[in-house]
Amino acid sequence: MNIVTVAKIVCDDQDIQIASDRTLDYSKARPTVSTYDLNAIEAGSLVAAEKGATHIVVSAGTPSIDDTKNNKNILARGVDSLTLIMNDDYADLDAKATAEALAPTVKDLAADVVICGDGSADIYAQQVDVQLAEALGLPVVTAVSKISFEGSALVAERILEAEKEVVEIALPAVVSVVPDIALPRICGMRDIMQAGKKPVTKIDGATVVRGAEVMETLAPEPAPRKKMLFDAGTDGDIDKFVAAVAEAIR
Amino acid sequence: MSIFVIAETEKGARGLCAGARTLGNEVALVSLSEATRIAGIADAVYAITVPVDALVESAAATVSELIDTKAPEVVLVEPTRRMKVIAGKVASKQGVSVITDAKSIEGAAATSLFFGGIANRKTKSVGDIAIFTATPSIFGDVQPSGSDVVEEIAYIADDTVKLRSREALPPAGVDLTVAKNIIAAGRGFTDEADLQMAHDLAAKMDAEVGCTRPLTEAVNWMPRETYIGVSGLMLSPEVYVGIGVSGQMQHMVGVNTAKTIIAINKDNNAPIFEQADYGLVGDLKTVLPEIIAKL
Repeated sequence: MNIVTVAKIVCDDQDIQIASDRTLDYSKARPTVSTYDLNAIEAGSLVAAEKGATHIVVSAGTPSIDDTKNNKNILARGVDSLTLIMNDDYADLDAKATAEALAPTVKDLAADVVICGDGSADIYAQQVDVQLAEALGLPVVTAVSKISFEGSALVAERILEAEKEVVEIALPAVVSVVPDIALPRICGMRDIMQAGKKPVTKIDGATVVRGAEVMETLAPEPAPRKKMLFDAGTDGDIDKFVAAVAEAIR
Repeated sequence: MSIFVIAETEKGARGLCAGARTLGNEVALVSLSEATRIAGIADAVYAITVPVDALVESAAATVSELIDTKAPEVVLVEPTRRMKVIAGKVASKQGVSVITDAKSIEGAAATSLFFGGIANRKTKSVGDIAIFTATPSIFGDVQPSGSDVVEEIAYIADDTVKLRSREALPPAGVDLTVAKNIIAAGRGFTDEADLQMAHDLAAKMDAEVGCTRPLTEAVNWMPRETYIGVSGLMLSPEVYVGIGVSGQMQHMVGVNTAKTIIAINKDNNAPIFEQADYGLVGDLKTVLPEIIAKL
């Protein structure tokens, strides 16, 4: 059995700077796995361990996603190999184009289960799962909090806004998981050392057609704040703070 | 211009139909449930009866065919899990991507949050159709209207995913979206019992208590409906008090439009202080009882 987890590599949002013209400066930001995709990878590794399956992580992006440290961080999480599909034109891909970039490789890997995360840190559109399933001609189930297997079918528990469903889906299938499904492991030094020996396959991504185009990305003007700081260790400061709170809720 | 609305809840159907009217003169509602068979909110209602033992998303093929036939310029979709699947399948068939969580819509383009609010990103649909997910609130206070021609559309069966069971989740105890003031508990709470102090403070200041994501997930101390921020609640209260909240952007984006932001944190370097009107540096275990007593 092959488990393929699809992960987005984004720049670390902690290091995004806002330039004076309100555009974003990513020059100091390192590539990192989109937060909730770490939970998806963990879920994939748990399923793979249970089923004795191979777990492959696939990502698509510009060549900047190929980062030794980040590759090791992925491979240290119970992942057998990593495939990076890269093309200079893959910046700011929409869900449809992302699915188009991923689909041929995912198909070649003969995935039985394709796992996607809850949503990406940057656009959180929750759409690559559905678009990828459509591109592959596979069924999809979203918002999955628990995965089990019965014969050749996957049984998934899903958490919706006001309901919980248990569904059965024939494999191969695309399953997107909520973060609760699995907490990402803390990688030990040994895991990271071993990760360095695992294969990273680099593929030249084919040209894709976008379904949506980014027009502009600008930081909002921040709301001005008073930034008055009190210290509980300073005599009378709690009283001043309480007075400020009382005034605010009046 | 012809606008289609796809909604799951009554509130979503009413609100998005009202909003659709501000974008175009022809509004059609795709109704997939009894809850959204509402009179007087659209010019046409396309009613699809999904069998109770099927997934609601199984209507995607029927909806997709309907949209192919009617060719609306814009589709407004309620941002629920199920509707997002239907929207995605329709988008795939049309060769476009859904532009999600639109804050404002201009023609085929919409502005959404980027990195949870670090920036606003304007994205344009490439194709003859633009599909957006949006909450009704982005359209402000508008009322739906319409003459309601109801047309039954035959459901095309799709059982690729089989439903085994469905049950209602316990309802959320509180509705933070209507609360005047909000207190958020963060990871600074190291003992579950201490959350009582957040509730005691809330009682003193007519507030409801929400939290950051780790408090519903890393530990299960708060109901999942109460976490604030990216993929959780987006609020705009009069007063927000973050207690033991570091000020991570993913959380703050959910409250940064509050009129007044107040923070309590033992770390004087916590980023939340940079985003607050009033901050108190102190250990919540010692300062909260004192604040509650004095307020």
